[in-house]
Amino acid sequence: MAAASTAMAPPSFRNLLFQRPAAVVALVVFVLIVAACFLLPMLGLTEIGGMSVRKRLTPPGAEYWLGADAFGRDVLGRLLVAGQTSLGIGLGVAVISSAVGILIGLVAGFFRRLDTPLSRVIDAMMAFPDILLALSLVAIFGGTMMNVILALSVVYAPRIARIVRASTLVIRELPYVEAARALGTRTPTIMVTHVLRNIMSPILVQATFIFAYAMLAEAGLSFLGVGVDPRTPTWGIMVNEGRQYIDTAFFLILFPGAAIALSVLSLQIVGDGLRDALDPRLAKET
Amino acid sequence: MSRYLLRRVIGMVVVIFLVLTLAFILVRLAPGDPASLLLGPDATPEEVVALRVRLGLDQPIFVQYGTFIGNALQGDLGQSLFFNQPVTQVLAARAEPTMFLALFSLLVALVIATPIGIWAAYRRGSVLDQGSITTAMLAASVPSFLTGLIFQRYLATDLGWFPASGYGGAGASFADRMWHLVLPSITLGITNSALILRFTRASMLDILGEDYVRTARAKGMTERRVVLRHALKNAGIPIITVVGLTFALLVSGAVVTERVFNLPGMGNLVVNAVLRRDYPVIQGTLIVVAGLYVLVNLLTDLLYLVVDKRVKY
Amino acid sequence: MTFRAFCLATSAALAMSAATGANAAGTIEVAIVGDPDTFDPMASTKDVVSIVTQHFMETLFTFDQEWKVVPLLAAAMPRISEDGLTYTIPLREGVTFHDGSSMDSADVLASLQRWEEVASRGQGIADKIDSIEASGPNEITITLNQPYSPLLSLLAFSNSAAVIYPEEIIADTIDTPVGTGPYKLEAHAPDQYTQLVRFDGYSQPGEAAGERQQIADEIRFVPVPDTNTRVEGLLSGQFDYADSLSTEAYDRIEASDVADPVLLEPFGWPIFAVNHKKGMMTDLNIRKAVQAALPFDDMMFAAFGDEKFFQTDGALYPEGWAWRNEAGLDQYNINDQEKAAEYLKEAGYDGTPFRILTSRQYEFHYQMAEVARMALEMAGFTVQMDVVDWATLAQNRDNPDLWDVYITHSPFLPEPALTSSFFATAREGWDNPEKNKILDQFTSETDPEKRKEIFAQLQQVIYDDVGLIKIGNFNALQGKATALSGVNPSPWPAFWNASLAE
Repeated sequence: MAAASTAMAPPSFRNLLFQRPAAVVALVVFVLIVAACFLLPMLGLTEIGGMSVRKRLTPPGAEYWLGADAFGRDVLGRLLVAGQTSLGIGLGVAVISSAVGILIGLVAGFFRRLDTPLSRVIDAMMAFPDILLALSLVAIFGGTMMNVILALSVVYAPRIARIVRASTLVIRELPYVEAARALGTRTPTIMVTHVLRNIMSPILVQATFIFAYAMLAEAGLSFLGVGVDPRTPTWGIMVNEGRQYIDTAFFLILFPGAAIALSVLSLQIVGDGLRDALDPRLAKET
Repeated sequence: MSRYLLRRVIGMVVVIFLVLTLAFILVRLAPGDPASLLLGPDATPEEVVALRVRLGLDQPIFVQYGTFIGNALQGDLGQSLFFNQPVTQVLAARAEPTMFLALFSLLVALVIATPIGIWAAYRRGSVLDQGSITTAMLAASVPSFLTGLIFQRYLATDLGWFPASGYGGAGASFADRMWHLVLPSITLGITNSALILRFTRASMLDILGEDYVRTARAKGMTERRVVLRHALKNAGIPIITVVGLTFALLVSGAVVTERVFNLPGMGNLVVNAVLRRDYPVIQGTLIVVAGLYVLVNLLTDLLYLVVDKRVKY
Repeated sequence: MTFRAFCLATSAALAMSAATGANAAGTIEVAIVGDPDTFDPMASTKDVVSIVTQHFMETLFTFDQEWKVVPLLAAAMPRISEDGLTYTIPLREGVTFHDGSSMDSADVLASLQRWEEVASRGQGIADKIDSIEASGPNEITITLNQPYSPLLSLLAFSNSAAVIYPEEIIADTIDTPVGTGPYKLEAHAPDQYTQLVRFDGYSQPGEAAGERQQIADEIRFVPVPDTNTRVEGLLSGQFDYADSLSTEAYDRIEASDVADPVLLEPFGWPIFAVNHKKGMMTDLNIRKAVQAALPFDDMMFAAFGDEKFFQTDGALYPEGWAWRNEAGLDQYNINDQEKAAEYLKEAGYDGTPFRILTSRQYEFHYQMAEVARMALEMAGFTVQMDVVDWATLAQNRDNPDLWDVYITHSPFLPEPALTSSFFATAREGWDNPEKNKILDQFTSETDPEKRKEIFAQLQQVIYDDVGLIKIGNFNALQGKATALSGVNPSPWPAFWNASLAE
């Protein structure tokens, strides 16, 4: 529904988004998190990987700003590197599931004969709960970062496909699309130029949420012991590793836990902001 | 309406068929020969061949597929490798905690989210609106195993308000078993309340934008009365929708929550099955959970028809 | 009765007990790390199986508090012939199985024969046994083809145990165990609990093994795979005993007024098991390089955190054990990566990845591996860590193509010959002729003093040839409810004699 109304009113949500202070703050927070994770290690501002076992579980202080873990590794440095993987998984899932979802949705929306079978496949895929399916896939294919991303993409792609299909069904009937078709424009061209351009915004909203859910799902998989290989740390793995030190070094859970919560929260607020901005009726009311 | 019903039921049958197909493909995709996987590394080649024949793995893939679907439709999901019991029996023994955990946590989420959602919509744009939503979203942004761990540690162990884990043990009474689900349900309920809150708020805003509400307002009814009369009357619809929407979420959450609280439910079972490479159990759980999801969604759609007179098909 | 039928019967029993309401008094709840996958202790070497089954299955001999072999179902220690080949074992009379039948030599004969066939430790000595005979209604005679001093320890051990079943139920697989122990198996709800109840027909063993009082009416073993959950369960009063806790929880348990920590010190030794069959570790220089490079003290420290929980000690047995000696210890904890680099150069090391196979089932395995990796990389190794789940590890370690070392641990066993890694037949395949000769001498020598000397030679050759790598000694943490008494600290805690204060 939101998608349909957007299709009628071309997106000018950038302005609307910036009328929402919460969304702007969230966006800034998220960008800062991303920048910290990818830039600080690159600039060599953090110490990564060095172990000094004798300093294990040093609390946060002057030497280690966020403390040291059970191996005497700098938590801050590790947190940033782990963030690259965690954010990478979120982004990877958001991008891959969007791409696959768009493709399936467009085909289902444009080719009537394929619509029913594809829609049923989408329904069937959506019936598998995310952690459960990811758990099974990772169990079968092994816990690499790529497998986790693919497993979660399989889980989330149908959500995008559903939205794209619904929007496509509306847009394909619009006068100017019909006109383009009458003029002999080829179907793939119509899909890309008219449909895709119009549905980018709702996809973006959905992809933002998928980004957040994927990060949470990764943390859950790590807790269950079937996530990414522990040598490439993620925030989920760090929290899980910290569990046994809950009494002796609570900060080992606190910082990666807060990193997950903050990223997921800011992504969701941005997503909500985008959605509100996209829905003209809501925009009017607030 | 009966035509709609028929169409939905046919759709559901097709989806369940596809779910079975996907589950079949998934386990066939596992690298290596299923028979050797099933038997483990100690198996002799003769044993592997014998099992291949018994499982029908020597048949063409389409025959295998047919047999699998045929068995599944008759309620035969194969044999657990670890328990040496039929998968359906293993699953049935684990259904109770998961079912009640999902139900209770849904209740917890609704109790938290519905009033706040309505209130937030009524005071849309206010500090309360923003604050309540942000708080709910923050609670949902913490990985649920962490929430569970902290609740378990402080509310159960230190304060002794709730049992810390388990399901009451041998011969526990029904009341005792349910008592063991309280803290897990609160954990899972809080995690899922954000989605319901957002949904309730959005539905409320929809209703407040409806013509009859505008009319009521125009007739001089106070905003509070508008909300109370129309919102509560229509609160059933968002609740039903949310039940369908969050079902999958609840099951996913149950996997983690059951692990934290060591509940003998389907979630814990499937994690153990993964760690034990018990493929038939993994496959069976996927099928049963997906089947339930499809069923729940059909039921919620049908409930719409009953509750909301405006919905016409 | 099949396992399935047993489970069905179990659920019926459950329904009944649910109806009457369980009486919590006199029930001891024990949190263990996982569900036993079998109740046939012959078929398993898992600790959870030993812990649970020792309450209902008994062996001819057992170990006392000082780890001395003493008779349990045997009436006395065996008469051993001069040449050390014939063991005549008198059996206790009037011992009743849980099914009501009484034990005689036919049951023992059938059980020991099964043990030779299905138990991994039984299979290991089958070629040394000439015959097992029922030489009287209450007497069994084992004849060996060469002297084998660890025989009685093997018969006493609860792991791959030579337990006695009634002759009638002997089969390849035994799903419903019938034993002679003070408790009997009442019900098993998979992944939920194993329920044992007092066996009223129990006849007490002799003085040496000590009385096994049946104070508690019931013992329930609850599988709790997560360490944190075991700690919370213990501290909230849900469990009376909890096995295998993280040492990080020690202070919190000590501070609690409902539970006390139980520290087994020293409990056992973490081991880097070496692949002698295939790959780079077949080269002695590479093995020497690994031995020289490893920072044993840092590895122990990272894994156990506090000196209270570990000792950096290279001897195969800690202080206080008869087997302790200092042979070869100059090669322990060298922690010299440059020296390791020299060994590598000598070996002509080409940068082939050194594969460490480990899992996070036991967090300290992974932690030791991480520290080892750092030191090995400093020495010039290319290290590949394969961190897998336990099921995969158990599978992959049997394939010599997949690893160079894997990480494991063992409690200190009362008899060194129970450590399978010493033998060429183990999966590590350490087939050094000199070591084999020493080991043969060790197992055939019966004089305890001489055996100690030979064991020192064995320890020396383990260091000289890097047969396996011992990391150190560690203490294990268990926890008990303050109200619980009568449980002796052990890797396999037993709950006969245990009682709960009102």
